[in-house]
Amino acid sequence: MARWIPDDAETEAALLHEIGLHDAEELFADVPRRVRLGRMGVGAGREEIDVVRTIDKMLARNRPYTGFANFLGGRIAPRFLPAAVDAILLRSEFYTSYTPYQPEASQGMLQALFEFQSLWVELSGLDAANASLYDGATAAGEALLLSRRIHEGDRYLVPASLPWEEKSVLANYAAGTGIRIQEIPFDPVTGRLDVDWTKREARSGDVFGVLVDVPNGFGHVDEGLLDLKSTIGAVPLTVVADPLALTVLEPPGEWGADIVVGEGQGFGASPSFGGPLLGLFACRREHLRFSPGRIVGATRDADGRPAFTLTLQTREQHIRRSRATSNICTNQSLLALAFVVYATTVGPKGLADLERTLSERARTLAGALAGIDGLKAPRFDSPYLHEFTVGVTRGTAAGFLDRLRRKKVLGGHPLADPRPGAVNPLGEVYLTAATEFSGDKEIAKYAKAARAALAHVPGAA
Amino acid sequence: MTFRQARYDEPPVWQLAGAARRAPEPPAPIPGIPDRFRRRRAVDWPELSELEVVRHYTRLSQMNFGIDSMPYPLGSCTMKYNPKVSEQLARRDAAASLHPYQPVETVQGALEILWRLETALAKVTGLPEVSLQPAAGAHGEYAALLMVRAYFRDRGELAQRTEVLLPDTAHGTNPASAHMAGFTAREIPSVDGCVDVAALKAAVNEHTAAFMLTNPNTAGLFESEIGAIAETVHGVGGMLYYDGANLNAILGVTNPGRMGFDVAHLNLHKTFATPHGGGGPGAGVLAATETLGAYLPVPRVVKQGRAFRLDYDRPKSIGKIKTGYGNFGLDLRAYAFLLSHGEEGLRHISRRAVLNANYLGKKLGHLLPRPFRTLVKHEFLLSGAPLKANGVRTLDLAKRLLDEGYHAPTVYFPSLVEEALMIEFPETESRRELDGFAEAFDRAVHDTPEHLHDAPHSTSVRRVDEVLAARQLHLSRKDLPATPAQPS
Repeated sequence: MARWIPDDAETEAALLHEIGLHDAEELFADVPRRVRLGRMGVGAGREEIDVVRTIDKMLARNRPYTGFANFLGGRIAPRFLPAAVDAILLRSEFYTSYTPYQPEASQGMLQALFEFQSLWVELSGLDAANASLYDGATAAGEALLLSRRIHEGDRYLVPASLPWEEKSVLANYAAGTGIRIQEIPFDPVTGRLDVDWTKREARSGDVFGVLVDVPNGFGHVDEGLLDLKSTIGAVPLTVVADPLALTVLEPPGEWGADIVVGEGQGFGASPSFGGPLLGLFACRREHLRFSPGRIVGATRDADGRPAFTLTLQTREQHIRRSRATSNICTNQSLLALAFVVYATTVGPKGLADLERTLSERARTLAGALAGIDGLKAPRFDSPYLHEFTVGVTRGTAAGFLDRLRRKKVLGGHPLADPRPGAVNPLGEVYLTAATEFSGDKEIAKYAKAARAALAHVPGAA
Repeated sequence: MTFRQARYDEPPVWQLAGAARRAPEPPAPIPGIPDRFRRRRAVDWPELSELEVVRHYTRLSQMNFGIDSMPYPLGSCTMKYNPKVSEQLARRDAAASLHPYQPVETVQGALEILWRLETALAKVTGLPEVSLQPAAGAHGEYAALLMVRAYFRDRGELAQRTEVLLPDTAHGTNPASAHMAGFTAREIPSVDGCVDVAALKAAVNEHTAAFMLTNPNTAGLFESEIGAIAETVHGVGGMLYYDGANLNAILGVTNPGRMGFDVAHLNLHKTFATPHGGGGPGAGVLAATETLGAYLPVPRVVKQGRAFRLDYDRPKSIGKIKTGYGNFGLDLRAYAFLLSHGEEGLRHISRRAVLNANYLGKKLGHLLPRPFRTLVKHEFLLSGAPLKANGVRTLDLAKRLLDEGYHAPTVYFPSLVEEALMIEFPETESRRELDGFAEAFDRAVHDTPEHLHDAPHSTSVRRVDEVLAARQLHLSRKDLPATPAQPS
């Protein structure tokens, strides 16, 4: 067993003696007999070497994407992380610190969070950002709740093309409010949102918010979104945006977004099987007092020197309790730090270059898959950056991807809601993404594996 | 001990590039992307060398207080040592380089770790159905209340079950989560720091959906009437909810299942030592009875023979609460912690944490009044009220302790104690640190009001003006004055 509890038995006995007790059992005299336990049955403790060997043995059953030609994407991005990022994250003054409620002792993290907020303000084109939420999907949920606070109505519109996990999370954020979430239809050829439909519904008077995404759930960039705000008027517009895409795209704040949220994991954090992630959140200044999460502000200390502190805390649960704007307490500070350290290490030009490189690769990939019988790549006729949707016209998307996997290719992930009985109007489609780990060689491998995988699948009716 | 935090005049990162080292050019067009969608102005962020970046953030880290440097006697936060082995394991390529949408065949090790941790936590909590999906404790609270909601909906009682009851000592997240889940939060008063069972009996009725309780509570007291509390809540068909923030006090002594709770959340970043990361990420756990377990988020990790898979076929499930399956990186760290300690180690944790609290409580009880009974669990309360006669507030005392090299305790919570200080020294703190803190506390209490008002003196900055921050609301670079004002 590791030496994580200090002092010997004699010292512990002395501590006990000092408080007038003789047996450690007396410390629990207030726990009634009827609720006391026997053994828990969790096994004996182990030395560090055994722990490492045991866990490494389990980890050896994983096949990390680094061993494949990897084209997995979506909101969670496998990226190469410069070593400098982890070197900073491993500064234990950062990672072992608590929430900076005592600003005098926490200036380092507070300043880093202020820089993080500044970067998300710059990328989103909005007025103010908070210091992070759990992930992109819960940030979208908080955006829904903020929209409801700033606009009347009981209907919320989201794209039918939104990833199913996000739809489900949104439904849960809405569960306690009595509102209804309605899906915006998309054009079956282009995947673009039906702007006319959205406009009509948004103007019907009972819609309190509209949420759209860039790139959308199909990986495409929908030009129609640029005109959306002018058609929905005062109804709050939330945009779910990918931070890397925002290094080359017009900030949503410039085209009318009232709230911009997103998944920030791709900037500085490993996917780690889906967590921890990073929820990005920005809004307009006039809505700040209704917004969720911790916010860092600049101020001065008693000597007049620049300083940072958490501010607007009267919105938060530890002060406002049931009237708080959100229940969130613990957030994702360390990943917010990773976000700003990654972006600064790569630099703004490097980030835009990365998006351009990945977009070019995505085009190469689409070209390589386009001619394959049994695939439609891209599935939608619409602009895209580093990812797009592929239609599988022979067999199932899941079956096809599984055959690719056997050829050491992670070709993407199915977009279908996997819950039995779920409605999946999209049919057999999956999302594929260009990554830094997938160059020309891997694209060729993908195309070859795809041909082989489809060779003996009977054609669709 | 002497404590001097680094005090750099470190400018914000955008001032490090000097005077426009490179005029930012808008990004070149990307083929296929409509020109209207193209960013017209390059991202305004500095281009720095790697050393410039590393030096900047290293300096910031040196202006930050962490467990590795100094103890944190923060009540209800359980700031214990974060073992290094956990950090090392979580950074393995076979743990970090896993995409959540990889086929299950390629993530068998991750699923095994999640399954084993869930199985172990079922034993620790005494509740059979466990999910590691919540990103944090409050996230777990919210999900649990949605499960309770779905349960009453299935029973046709949702319209009637409108209230969530909680003691006045509850963490702020409890009423906030209840409100978000569509319930009305109603406080039950405390007597001598514990739930007033008579008041609870008077408050429960057919409208009660749940009673949320932390045990031991935020006064550090074990709610010994837990049997009567459970009977009262169950008697009207309500659900008993366990807030696991203070689980560190009762490992192997009792557990939520044994106490009659129906659903619980735990914070792996407290009891199971995953690092707080400056405010997050945390990792939450949901544990439930079989009845409520049917409503846990999908997917569930299941074992079939030697293989593991993700099961989405849970018709009663509330669905998803975040992208991916919880915070795996933290779950892995917590599993390493649990494996290391084992049965005896976990029991030792609670024994020592409770011993630390009682030992220190007795010592500090000579300096300031302790509001309730003196046998406490993992934390204890003091009231700074007597200092008010000299014009000294609890906040001053908290700031003064920073000068001594100790993080401030939790202050002004719970609100039923005037000028409250809530102190918790987890099991990883030695007698030497306990005695050191007691001496520091003694010096602080007996310091002059002037020096206390002026504290802290040894930190990176002096007392921070929070009122100014709230008034001017400079929340990003955009809000800062173009030329920094001179210090007054």
